[in-house]
Amino acid sequence: MRDRAARRLPGFVLAVPAWLWLTVFFVVPFLQVAWFSFGEKPGMFGTHSNAVMSLDRYAEAFSPTFFTIFRATLWMSVLGTVACLLVALPAAYFMALKVPAHRRGLLVALVMVPYWTSFLIRTIGWKVILSSEGALAGFMTDVGLVGDPHDLLNTRGAVLLGLIYNYLPLMILPLYVAFDRVDNALGEASKDLGAGRVRTFFQVTLPLARPGIIAGVVLVFIPMMGDYVTPAVLGGAKGTMVGSLIASQFLTAQNWALGSAMAVVLILLTMVVVVLAIALLWGVGWLVHRRTELVVGTVPPPDPRLPTKEVVTA
Amino acid sequence: MSRPSGTNLALGVWTTLVFVFLFAPIIVIAVYSFNGGRLLTAWDGFSLHPFTAIVERPTVRHTVAVSLQTAVVAAILASALGTLAGMAMARFPGRWTGPFTLLLLLVSVTPEIVDGIALLPWFVTLGQDWSLVPFNNGYVRLIIGHSLFATAVVTYIVRARLVGLDASLEEASADLYARPIPTFFKVTLPLVGPAVLAGGLLAFTLSLDNTVISSFINVSGTTSWPVYVLSSVRSGLKPEIAAVSTILLVFTLLVLGLVARVLKRSGSSVTDTMAVA
Repeated sequence: MRDRAARRLPGFVLAVPAWLWLTVFFVVPFLQVAWFSFGEKPGMFGTHSNAVMSLDRYAEAFSPTFFTIFRATLWMSVLGTVACLLVALPAAYFMALKVPAHRRGLLVALVMVPYWTSFLIRTIGWKVILSSEGALAGFMTDVGLVGDPHDLLNTRGAVLLGLIYNYLPLMILPLYVAFDRVDNALGEASKDLGAGRVRTFFQVTLPLARPGIIAGVVLVFIPMMGDYVTPAVLGGAKGTMVGSLIASQFLTAQNWALGSAMAVVLILLTMVVVVLAIALLWGVGWLVHRRTELVVGTVPPPDPRLPTKEVVTA
Repeated sequence: MSRPSGTNLALGVWTTLVFVFLFAPIIVIAVYSFNGGRLLTAWDGFSLHPFTAIVERPTVRHTVAVSLQTAVVAAILASALGTLAGMAMARFPGRWTGPFTLLLLLVSVTPEIVDGIALLPWFVTLGQDWSLVPFNNGYVRLIIGHSLFATAVVTYIVRARLVGLDASLEEASADLYARPIPTFFKVTLPLVGPAVLAGGLLAFTLSLDNTVISSFINVSGTTSWPVYVLSSVRSGLKPEIAAVSTILLVFTLLVLGLVARVLKRSGSSVTDTMAVA
């Protein structure tokens, strides 16, 4: 009995410091924010007061002035996530299935280099590229794509570009891992059963990579919604996102109650969209799967996996 | 398998373009760190002046020093907390692991801005309302802010490393009548060494780059390098910012190369570990 207790004790004790640390400096601060969000800003010099509890700050956060920015942020994040997915899919597919195995490690490392270099500095790199003094602006003005060299920076488009750029590695990596795990034999089997390459990709490879797609979408969408640096560097006044809005409530307006309510709304909105996106991706996958089953059903052999193995070993 | 078809060619070209896209701003920053002009965005001839300006400007030196000091302490702190937690998760799983995993997951997915705006009032509550003076110190604030996500990262890496290792060595130690605590220090800790080092170095680079949390909990006098850079986005970016960034970039790449080597030698997959992070 005592021996068992002694063995059990360290296990619990070892995690306690981290648990306490994260509770005191992550959970409790967040609970305080949630508490502030039901309060108000008491006059000019105070930052928050919970003397009167109400949902007024939430009503304020949903007022048209602020809600347009919430809507714009949501749209930019959805667009950015979809664009990341479309850009990353072919690249991850190529890296995992077409590149010789000994070169893949290098390519994955190259994808991670930008991810691990300073986020802020990479965004500033785009500011340099898009600036009105830059070569790109000059070229695009000469060609007539933009009317004025100042049209590139400080726009929604610039922020969207920055978002896609900054989170692309987070999309490529899970997709790469997913494609890497797809058994090549299943694709071969699909082709042996007469499906074309395009059909094999959409009905076999892509559905099998679904967990990676879901992981990538979630990993990219959540930080996009809360991004503060990208709009601050590339957006100017036109490219404001919720992050900048919340920041200004805390740093400039000194209205902690309203800023807290906005932060809570941001988190709830993000969670709702993530749940919807996962449901949607599963639903689409399920529909494709059902169609695939029907198609397979008309072909004589009942289980496609058995002939696959024979083909591979032969 | 590698039939040279039009599709494969198109995929190859697309992938190349993606890599060009990924590296374009980094190359631009490296090139513009030799910009002789007064403002970063306007190129005005090749010059080494941005690099000499680093030495001349005390603000630049001071903010970089703040960042490096913070990063060292935050990395050590996160490594200590994360190593213990990771070992506990791998070796002593129980009813507590579920909620703890959820906590780590929340720490990892919460946007930094939420951490930042939550920590700012919390430090004010602790430091001013409750008179716990240390929390008014800029270094303390930065170290705490940077340690949160980093602790989760180290925990994941250490846990992944230990789960992949057989527990029989520790059991052997116990069978030979070593008490749990000596077993921990003499057997388990050496086993997780490489993972701790890798996690610690990642925590270091994460802290070095942290912009969002730092800018909220910033105390004047202990402004970190990224916060200084972010503030100069508004006041005017100078070429020496690119110069410092290039130096830090080379430094970070060296650190990452070291992490990759350490992990490779210890046998765990670099890809998996970093993907987790």
